[in-house]
Amino acid sequence: MAESERKGLKDWLHPFLTRLPAVKRPEKHVHFRKKLMWTAGILVLYFILSNIAVFGLSEGSQDVLAAYRAIFAGATGSIILLGIGPIVTASIVLQLLVGAEILKLDVTETRDQAIFQGLQKLMVFVMIIVETLPQIFGGYLQTDPGIAQSLGIGTDLLTLFIFIQVAIGGVLILYMDEIVSKWGIGSGVSLFIVAGIAQALVGGIINWMPPYPTHELGFSVLINEIPRENLPIGIIFKWEWLVSNFGLGHWLSPDNIFTFLYSGHVLALLATIAIFLMVVYVESTRIEIPLAHSSVRGARGKFPVKLIYASVLPMILVRALQANFQMVGMFLYNNFGITWLGTYSNGVPVDGLMFYINPINGMGDWVPSLAAQVYPGIQLWQIGLHVLTDAFILIAGGILFAIFWVETTGMGASRVARQIQKSGMQIPGFRRNEQVIEKVVSRYIPKVTVIGGAFVGLLTLIASLFGVLGSVSGTGMLLCVSIIYQLYEKLASEQLMEMHPLIRRFLGEE
Amino acid sequence: MAKRESGSGLMSSAGLMRYFEAEDSAIKIDPKTVVIAAVALGAIVIFLNFTVAHTL
Repeated sequence: MAESERKGLKDWLHPFLTRLPAVKRPEKHVHFRKKLMWTAGILVLYFILSNIAVFGLSEGSQDVLAAYRAIFAGATGSIILLGIGPIVTASIVLQLLVGAEILKLDVTETRDQAIFQGLQKLMVFVMIIVETLPQIFGGYLQTDPGIAQSLGIGTDLLTLFIFIQVAIGGVLILYMDEIVSKWGIGSGVSLFIVAGIAQALVGGIINWMPPYPTHELGFSVLINEIPRENLPIGIIFKWEWLVSNFGLGHWLSPDNIFTFLYSGHVLALLATIAIFLMVVYVESTRIEIPLAHSSVRGARGKFPVKLIYASVLPMILVRALQANFQMVGMFLYNNFGITWLGTYSNGVPVDGLMFYINPINGMGDWVPSLAAQVYPGIQLWQIGLHVLTDAFILIAGGILFAIFWVETTGMGASRVARQIQKSGMQIPGFRRNEQVIEKVVSRYIPKVTVIGGAFVGLLTLIASLFGVLGSVSGTGMLLCVSIIYQLYEKLASEQLMEMHPLIRRFLGEE
Repeated sequence: MAKRESGSGLMSSAGLMRYFEAEDSAIKIDPKTVVIAAVALGAIVIFLNFTVAHTL
């Protein structure tokens, strides 16, 4: 009975979902060079939009997503300040609903895939509104009364105008992502993440401006009556300032060397390099199941089961989930004075549940002497609990999303077996039979999924414990390297297909 | 050769599940339209930012 009702719901939804505008799909194979052009074009457009400030926004506005820029992309105060937040959030909600079978969709069926895709888009539109309104009503996006006055309109109307700009910016990102996914290489989501992180990294090396350019340079400069470090952002200019003001000898003395390593971003530089090498190494760690063609002798292949089978990318979902909790917590605290979830100071949770579930972001969160500066009076057990909670969230989340991911995306044992069978390959020494192949691959795939998911969580924790150059979060750096690595693999296969059209068919593309 | 099985239309991007292959929509936008819309919005906002002064 329930089944037929659900079918009814799907049928009822379907015509509505097909009325959501979509970017046209290319009718035939798009040449590699043309794909490259679309990708580069959208990237340039993205950078331009990220530099256009929202009209009518006051200087006092804050960026709620500041700590999550590496995952959500976008830029503070720009018309694309939402970044890919709505897309990622919509996707998590839907993946959890489908993964937990609350929403019964068989994503191996084209029709259900279309519904999934349609629902996801609908949800993105909802999320654009859901993520913008609290920022406006919570007082993060403030209207500039001076501009309203010179236009001769009320501030309410200007606020509406700000909402419209931010919402259109969100919609543009949605469609730009679709263009890259259909006409370009990879996807817009990963392109925008990498763009943001690459930009921050370059800034972390050569930017000579401090975070608060209107204030003097120093370790403890009062900004809005809060002492903050205000050194040049770029590591080159940071060192130059430190050495020319204190002398090299001062920093090499045992008392000051830690300050130099930390504030001089030497540790961040080492962490950046370490994460890069770690990801490249781990991405290429795999178990290879040998394959041979059943009728073409000598045609051999391998089916790789990567250690991080579901990739590090589900970590975006874990971090984005945490970001959404923080937005809710901050909204409740600032607007309704609800403190039992945690209290916030300067947009950072300082106690309560929200403190413990806030992602670890750099050494300031766990080295006792540094943590005491950020959270005055913090106890050692509180630091420990915070690190443990984050470790638990990352590892458990890593496993959970990896299982959902593998099961719902057709990377599970039975689907892989069918794929191998259909390609005409077999595992040497075993009968050419789908069940036999499934038995062999299921020795590896479920175990690798769980171990890989946990391992990715651990990797993210390690990356998060150390800051990275240009205040990119460790998670961001991890994702960025991983996305680039996969893009590289994709580029290689695209080029292969360009050279040998037959391979296209073999790899299952049109 | 067997026809491509339905269900392989998955596009993994940054851990998100998307099925652009399966998507069917009655309203199709040309990618160039999106680019033009983005440039137009950008131009309008830049124009406003530079012309409307802050008084108070």
